[in-house]
Amino acid sequence: MISSNRLSKLAVAMCAALPALASASQTTTVQGLHDNSSDYVALQNATIITEPGRALENATLVIRNGKIERINENNRAPDGARVIDVSGHTIYPGFIDAYSNYGVAQPEKAQRGPWFSTRPQYNNKREGGNASNDAIHAHETWVDTAASDSKTAESYIQQGFTAVQSARLDGIFQGQAVTLSLADKIANDVIYRAQAQHFGSFDKGSSQQQYPNSLMGSIALIRQTLSDAQWYEQAYGKDAYQGSPVEYNAALAELGPIEQEGIVFKVSDDKSLLRAQAVFSEFDVPVTFVGSNYEYARLDAVKATNAKLILPLDFPAAPEVSGVTDSLDVDLADLRHWERAPGNAAALASADIDFSFTLHQLQKAGDFWPNLRKAVQHGLDKDRALAALTTIPAQIAGVSDKAGKIAPGYMADFVIAEGDLFTDGTIKSVWLQGQEKELAPLRQADFNGSIVADIAGQSVTFELKGDERVGGEVKVGESSSKLRSARRDEGSLSFVANANLNGNDGVWRFQLEQTAEQSFAGVAIGPNGNEVRFNGTRSETTADTATTENSPAERVEYVSRLTYPNVAYGHDGLPERQNVHIKNATVWTADEAGVLENTDILIRDGEFYRIGEDLRTPSGYTVIDATGMHVTPGIIDEHSHIAIDQGVNEASEAITSEVRIGDVVNPDDIHIYRSLAGGTTMAQLLHGSANPIGGQAQVIKLRWGATADQMKFDAAPPSIKFALGENVKQSRYPSWLSSRYPQTRMGVETLMRDGFTAALEYRAAQEAYRKLSRSEREKVAPPRPDYRLNTLLEILDKERFVHAHSYVQSEILMLLRLAEDFDFTLTTFTHILEGYKVASEMAKHGAGGSSFADWWAYKFEVYDAIPQNACLMAEKGVLTSINSDSNDLQRRLNTEAAKSVTYCGMSEHEALQMVTLNPAKQLKIDQYVGSIKEGKHADFVLWNNHPLSSYARVEQTWINARNFFNRERDEQLRAELQSEKQALIQKVLADPAAQNGAANGYKREQPAWHCDTEHDTWLGTFTAHAHGGH
Amino acid sequence: MKKLVLAAMAATVTLSAAAHDIVPGEAQQQPIVLQGGTLFTITDGVKTDTDLLLVDGKISAIGQDLEVPSDAQVIDVSGKHIYPSVIALDTTLGLTEIEAVRATEDSNEAGDITPEVSGHVAFNPDSEVIPTIRYNGVTHAQIVPQGELIAGRSSLLQLDGWTYEDMGERLNVGVHVNWPRVGISTSWWESRSPEEQRKANAEARKHLERAFVQAKAYYDAKQAGELEGTDLRWEAMLGLFDGSSTLFVHANDQRQIEEAMEFTSEYGFDWVLMGARDAWRIADQLAEAEVRVVYGAPYGLPTRHDEGFDQAFATPAALAAAGVDFAISYPGYWDVRNLPFAAGNAVAYGLDKDAALEAITLAPAKFMGVDNEVGSLEVGKQATVVVSAGDLLDPIGQKVEMMFIEGRLVDLNNRHLQLYNKYKQKP
Repeated sequence: MISSNRLSKLAVAMCAALPALASASQTTTVQGLHDNSSDYVALQNATIITEPGRALENATLVIRNGKIERINENNRAPDGARVIDVSGHTIYPGFIDAYSNYGVAQPEKAQRGPWFSTRPQYNNKREGGNASNDAIHAHETWVDTAASDSKTAESYIQQGFTAVQSARLDGIFQGQAVTLSLADKIANDVIYRAQAQHFGSFDKGSSQQQYPNSLMGSIALIRQTLSDAQWYEQAYGKDAYQGSPVEYNAALAELGPIEQEGIVFKVSDDKSLLRAQAVFSEFDVPVTFVGSNYEYARLDAVKATNAKLILPLDFPAAPEVSGVTDSLDVDLADLRHWERAPGNAAALASADIDFSFTLHQLQKAGDFWPNLRKAVQHGLDKDRALAALTTIPAQIAGVSDKAGKIAPGYMADFVIAEGDLFTDGTIKSVWLQGQEKELAPLRQADFNGSIVADIAGQSVTFELKGDERVGGEVKVGESSSKLRSARRDEGSLSFVANANLNGNDGVWRFQLEQTAEQSFAGVAIGPNGNEVRFNGTRSETTADTATTENSPAERVEYVSRLTYPNVAYGHDGLPERQNVHIKNATVWTADEAGVLENTDILIRDGEFYRIGEDLRTPSGYTVIDATGMHVTPGIIDEHSHIAIDQGVNEASEAITSEVRIGDVVNPDDIHIYRSLAGGTTMAQLLHGSANPIGGQAQVIKLRWGATADQMKFDAAPPSIKFALGENVKQSRYPSWLSSRYPQTRMGVETLMRDGFTAALEYRAAQEAYRKLSRSEREKVAPPRPDYRLNTLLEILDKERFVHAHSYVQSEILMLLRLAEDFDFTLTTFTHILEGYKVASEMAKHGAGGSSFADWWAYKFEVYDAIPQNACLMAEKGVLTSINSDSNDLQRRLNTEAAKSVTYCGMSEHEALQMVTLNPAKQLKIDQYVGSIKEGKHADFVLWNNHPLSSYARVEQTWINARNFFNRERDEQLRAELQSEKQALIQKVLADPAAQNGAANGYKREQPAWHCDTEHDTWLGTFTAHAHGGH
Repeated sequence: MKKLVLAAMAATVTLSAAAHDIVPGEAQQQPIVLQGGTLFTITDGVKTDTDLLLVDGKISAIGQDLEVPSDAQVIDVSGKHIYPSVIALDTTLGLTEIEAVRATEDSNEAGDITPEVSGHVAFNPDSEVIPTIRYNGVTHAQIVPQGELIAGRSSLLQLDGWTYEDMGERLNVGVHVNWPRVGISTSWWESRSPEEQRKANAEARKHLERAFVQAKAYYDAKQAGELEGTDLRWEAMLGLFDGSSTLFVHANDQRQIEEAMEFTSEYGFDWVLMGARDAWRIADQLAEAEVRVVYGAPYGLPTRHDEGFDQAFATPAALAAAGVDFAISYPGYWDVRNLPFAAGNAVAYGLDKDAALEAITLAPAKFMGVDNEVGSLEVGKQATVVVSAGDLLDPIGQKVEMMFIEGRLVDLNNRHLQLYNKYKQKP
């Protein structure tokens, strides 16, 4: 045993000596002597895991020239090879991290400061064919500047990694990654794949450019850029339509083949994963996601993307709950995620989704293996875990032909470990291109136990304990003394201790060396300086404490529920659709039938089927006895900002018609549930009011529990938000920052006029191009598809409808006349607090108005707002509704509508229509919803009282005959959530390691978005919304 | 005896559209009898078909078929709902005209510790907002400086008059403290670590304590004649130590409330808890300690994600059930007019209707120390009366037709009616 120890030490010494000579590459001239050392090595007596699920026992791995030459299953070492005995060890393929920034330059740190601290930068500096947006670095191919970095490599190698796919992690399109070995060699020798995948994220990173400042802006920029790349392939080298040559654009040129190359895209949660999938699939770009460990919460949707994932292993630290009031700040959702995040990999595996692991995001690389083992304890299959370190990342990094397996011809990249790495093994050495990087000696003497020796005729017992640091005592007869100054290496241990041996009383120096399993040879130097040699035998071994700590724990059991969404009040699944018989209700039809007393409703196949008195119950129908109750249609909110992630305003540029609220719907927002509890079933999610022409709106049904896509009401025609007045002219910006056109209501008009004019000229250019002959098209480039202008054309084509944030009469008139100039009808003015002043003009044009019931005085442009506005507009023939623009008001639009009864005597029936049928008409969905009428969707609310009264409370809310809110169920849920939370808190308190893990590992609470919330979601700055500002 | 038809009275409301014709009511010249109304007395239940006699700004009799004094003006209010003063606590009425226009904003003085400022000093009786608040039946408002830790002193004003002096029901009622933050925010705009947050919270708490130590030291030195100069800040807080002034502590989080309970009991302050979103969590303790609570979120979202969707709505009912002495406020300025509806909303979520009314009438009067004057319909109290055609707490009932403040008939016209009436005439 000692001899093989020595051999391996020698091997290490040889390897360490190599690089000085071996670093010469094929093209570097040799200075001094040529290095022709033999690197023919055979690793004998190994367990070789050639790939996940395939193990060879007692085999020999033969390597030469940095590659694997062969695997001898007969365990024979070839002649001439240096033989290393690795018996008792396992060889795994080297691990690959497919998401890294190893070996490339780091970005400058983005300047982050208060919103108004720097002058806004709208355009970037153009240089070297870069893109027009500084968040796009697609022109970078990171192989160009990649270089080995032994210091950084060390932290990867410690965990068993031998190769990485790497790029600078900065911006939206981050450039093309390079896959390279972590070997300490010149760059030329470590490149495994020069042009690997593109990297990307939604975060604009170090870019100081305004656009994009929201998640939807980032998505729109990706969409436009991918479209531009397609266009550029046809256009470059030709003249643009007006005659000037098409610009040189390296970023677009590099993105041309992205459909083949693919992109590794980092997302912050399950929702953004689905968003990224949606936009890239529009262009058939294959995506590998760097995940968040939230994927388990929407497993089916993630599975449906068919994408691979790269998972960080930074599980969140538990929320602090040990103080008696700490739990006041803790949400159930976070406790649930704390419990289940380590099980994410197992969940993905169970759904047969391919994934790899990355060191990325781990604050301490040393947490990698403990966390990976935690994932295994949560049910991750070990072969899957190994695949996540080898074959899967090899595929992602485009190096499956040379790395990720132990096979002839593959690079000699492997890991030698003792024990099972996925439970408690340790990595002894990592081999990179045939060169060993030793982390721990293959073998090491074991001094644990009681070693009895005869020294100078006296029996001495060494009671020793410990592997790295050895401690214990020396016993002679009845007396004993503690070891001091203990020092060890692989084979020997030295220490001093007080002893009285044969009359030599004083401090003795000892050295022990292991000679066999239980035998030791030693030297003792007495107080007199005399040397005594001795032999010792181990009588018993003490338990190895280190291994028991790492022993596999029992399979983790969850105390949390997994709901949709996975937050408090989530549903177990979509509520079932029912056929329903509502009996004996007061039915507010909000339609021509008016209010019907003692009336029954039959609901069949999701629709209102019959409305009448004393109807018979068909078989299989759920009966609701609604005696004393009122039924209304589901409330529809024309103006809502709930359920939106990471920015309600793309507040950067004055026209942002390309951005889509539909891209950032947040199905996890608790305000969806709360609004259901207030009787609201549908909402138009609008872009904010920072720009004259804002983003595209999204109409949703509040199907709590569904995915973002399932909430979208596809039958609603497209719509868009415009805005006028104080917000768009940046009235609350300090004057030194307000450089953006427009700064006046005059400029708002001209800016919109300019936009529509440009759209028409763009169309003319497209039409002219279509008429060109084939030979002319050889020279002339097609007009560049422009999402922004296309959206404006949809408005002019009456395919997209405008909802315009507006207050004062001058701007209302302006927009009416502008729309008339461009031959479209302005669908709805929203807010429209001075609508009463120009109601007849609005009615004549055909515009609707959607107003607040009684808001005013919060800013100058609402100083003439009056609570009789809705009445006056309605009286003049304007289609009028009441909206919320508030996640609180959205829960009680019934009493908001009632205020027109209070202030100006509107009939109750008409008042209810203002929050049901009229908004349905404004959204052009009244053939489906908005009233209780045979054939319409069964979206309805059961109230305990007159629905416009202060005293009314929602009992049940239904959408398409599914019961999404039920007061009784809600009561029951509260109790269940309470006990679930307590169980989770108990689990946290019982876990001594609960506080280990990533800080900020949870989804962050979204602000209550308002029209005027201007926010840079990437720079983390935003303007606080003024109370009541809209 | 003149029998005035109600319609004629109501007509004063809609006569003209000029901006400043809303003239404060004249002092009561003659006895007024409100005949045959439904009286919500607060202290003595609901009395139907009952008369109310107002003499010299006071309620002089309540009863059925009251004898009508010879010079009395008789107003038939049969079928109408008659209420006492409705008192809006925790407002910035008259201090803010247009929130986004800084020049019209007088609510927030510079500095953390500004007990010396008084709400009524900057109060604008001609604010266009005030008549719109009266229109929904609110007769009184507490004018509260906003600000940081110690924000200033509030005053209770009647909402009709020429100057704050003739509107003053009680000036400088007490000192307002915004209790320092507690707990850990996980909002994404919170860039500080939990540790930094805890440190900042503790520092703010220390800052507040030091101010009270100073104020007390000043009070003691003054008692002993040992002051060497005048400090307006500590002068403003003297009343807290001799019990002549109330401490209003704005605190929403359970931990803030508990800290405030301990703090005020150490000093023995006469105090009122304002805001109190988490009061439901410790309702029994609040009742036990007889803490007066002004609940400020009758409309509002739950404070925390996991709370019931209706937690804010249902809190008044929980306080009532626990026996807490509470009022309901709806802090703000233009939106204070929704206070009666907010109280009604609490009824939908379990509060007794009488308790809801009391929470915006008598309870606030008590907390302001003016319940011998206002807050209920009782003989001897101020002739402050609201007449509505229907239920004041319900938007489908409320229609305020008359308001008397100390016997003065209040003009219910307002900017909104003026613009409404103007634009009704636009072709």
